Amino acid sequence: MTRHSQESPRPGRKPFHRTKVSLPERIVSYSIVGLLAAIGAAVWVAGRNFDPGLYSLRAEALKSTVAPDERLTTIQGERASRPIGDPASNRNIAPHTGGTPMPPDQTDSPDDHEAAAPAPAAKATAIEIPGAKPMGDTEFYSPDSLYEKIDGRAPAYIEFHFQQLRTRSFSVPDSAGSYVDVYEYRMDSPVNAFGIFALERDPDGKPLDFAADGYSGGMGFYFRQGNCYVQVIASDQKPATMGLARSVSEHLAKAIPADDAGLGARRRLPAQGLVPGSVKFTQDNALGQAFLKDVFQADYNFEGKKISFFLMATTPEAAAKARESFFAFSGRYGGKAEALPDIAGAKVFEAQNFGKWKLIYQRGGELGGVLDAQDPVAARAFLGKVLDGK
Amino acid sequence: MTNPPTPEPSPQISRREFLLRAGAAGALIAGSVGGGLALWQRRHFVPGFQEQGGLHLPSYSLAPDKLLPEMAIAHGADHEKVVRAAIGALGGMGRFIQKGDVVLIKPNIAFDRPPALAATTHPDALRAVARMVLEAGAVKVLVADNPINSPAGCYLKSGLLAVADELHLDLLYPETNSFAPIQMDGEILRNWAFFEAPFKRATKVIGLAPCKDHNLCHASMTMKNWYGLLGGRRNQFHQHIHSIVSDFALMMKPTLVVLDGMNVLMKNGPTGGRLSDVKPMGTVVAGTDMVAVDSYGYTHLLERDIAELTYIHKANDRGLGNMDWKQTRYKEVQA
Repeated sequence: MTRHSQESPRPGRKPFHRTKVSLPERIVSYSIVGLLAAIGAAVWVAGRNFDPGLYSLRAEALKSTVAPDERLTTIQGERASRPIGDPASNRNIAPHTGGTPMPPDQTDSPDDHEAAAPAPAAKATAIEIPGAKPMGDTEFYSPDSLYEKIDGRAPAYIEFHFQQLRTRSFSVPDSAGSYVDVYEYRMDSPVNAFGIFALERDPDGKPLDFAADGYSGGMGFYFRQGNCYVQVIASDQKPATMGLARSVSEHLAKAIPADDAGLGARRRLPAQGLVPGSVKFTQDNALGQAFLKDVFQADYNFEGKKISFFLMATTPEAAAKARESFFAFSGRYGGKAEALPDIAGAKVFEAQNFGKWKLIYQRGGELGGVLDAQDPVAARAFLGKVLDGK
Repeated sequence: MTNPPTPEPSPQISRREFLLRAGAAGALIAGSVGGGLALWQRRHFVPGFQEQGGLHLPSYSLAPDKLLPEMAIAHGADHEKVVRAAIGALGGMGRFIQKGDVVLIKPNIAFDRPPALAATTHPDALRAVARMVLEAGAVKVLVADNPINSPAGCYLKSGLLAVADELHLDLLYPETNSFAPIQMDGEILRNWAFFEAPFKRATKVIGLAPCKDHNLCHASMTMKNWYGLLGGRRNQFHQHIHSIVSDFALMMKPTLVVLDGMNVLMKNGPTGGRLSDVKPMGTVVAGTDMVAVDSYGYTHLLERDIAELTYIHKANDRGLGNMDWKQTRYKEVQA
């Protein structure tokens, strides 16, 4: 008996041969073929319009994986919690922790301590000005994308811990073709907002009556309010354009909460002889020195001479250490540094570098002094008055 | 014992149906192969994966003239007159442009800023150069840039849109398919997306740049102006900015460059933002050697020490121009 092969149909059953394809099956088949053709066409169109920058590496985007994004919290007094280990959280003046008590006038002011708290972050809301007609939507830029708006200028802002830019243009109703551009740069703290504001300040600008740190300058209004640095730039100097620029500026100055955290040391700068608009702030590596942080610097007119003065407020220990480092540095590269007798409780040294003089003092948690003076006698006289509180 | 059942014979297909099915299958295969070939891009540009190949820009410069100046410096108060005086001192626009030329003018309109802030090419400078080009017999003037900000906003706010409307110039906006990879042997620029579309039509190229401070590379003048022809994420070159700016002197051999120093952005560049950043200098420099032109701009318009401008030294050392502008044939005129 021969066994049937497994392929053979069982007795009584016909082998399967398709002779007819049903209509639904045909429809499905044609649909699949049509879909493949559509995909092919889509690939062809996409290839024709290929963006060469699509796959290029954007290394700065990787920074966003380092720390959580805090940009979507609110501006109205809400404090965002900064992650542990964020350098910005340790950026401000270290709290006094015992040891030699600081004199009352050198204790950190409340706003200095406040500066150590994390800065409020802004909600990504559009810039709305009542009565002003926008020319387009509000644009938002983060530290990763700021270069897309201001290109090579971006690093200057990022040095001051830039967080977000909101920008929008408004047309001027009574002046065809005229417009006003608003740039609101939000930094991580008021003191850094002051830093970038002061860096770009027009020394001849006219002070504003609606913002303490602000000026108008020919074609716009520029001010620091809270942790924001605002530029309102007019397209021309027509009265209607400048009028709108002013009203926009006033509106924004009212809308941004006032906050001077971290700016306490600025008030310790001597007031007499201060050149208006000359105060600047440097957070890190002030005067090119790693030990000089959170430094305010200003110019003075003193007995007909220009004096450059700086001041850093920190703990007495840190101030003493910085003074020693500064003394050591000043004696290098052919410089001559010499300790002088104490003046009004302050330790003082004098140094000459490249034909210019500096006179540095440290008293408690305050380190400061005269820089790059041409006349050592005037420098000593100026510092003597400062230390005597005159 | 029974014989196994004999399978029923397959139903026969007709010759006609066989030919139809074979034809359909063949057409499908041929269509697939044809589609694949059409989609296959030998020069498909994906950084890191692309074949090394791409556009090689021709030189648009003219043969050196042994008598006429290579560089001209004009001073005065009226923008158009000063531009005309500078180009006139080089021998006039007729030296560079012939009848029938299609001329590309490359301004710097990186930002959507008003002209008074001096962050962009001034409309009066474009008007003057474009008029001279048209007077010399050019049939068409193209104006093209790939700005940092929205191109429409930049053309509008810089005032160049109004000039283009007035003189019937062709403003070219960068579209996604306006770019093709350029291939060159630069210090850092080797294969990169390039704004090719204007160069398909142009027979002559003029660079028209403002003179301004730049936060990263100290100054933006005629060499740096060509940065605006790159596409993609070009900011990644910022870490090697002096290398890439010097590469532009290799990439682009323009017919003429014009450096507008009527109002110079002296600080807070490249964007500026205050009138106090701008200093009136009343000068326009034109020339065929952009290294020399920029050297003059840096020392005499931005009033700085040339020793610190690394990209000029790089370009000079590579033989791409002469940073010692006083050694070139130059002419200084008053408009």
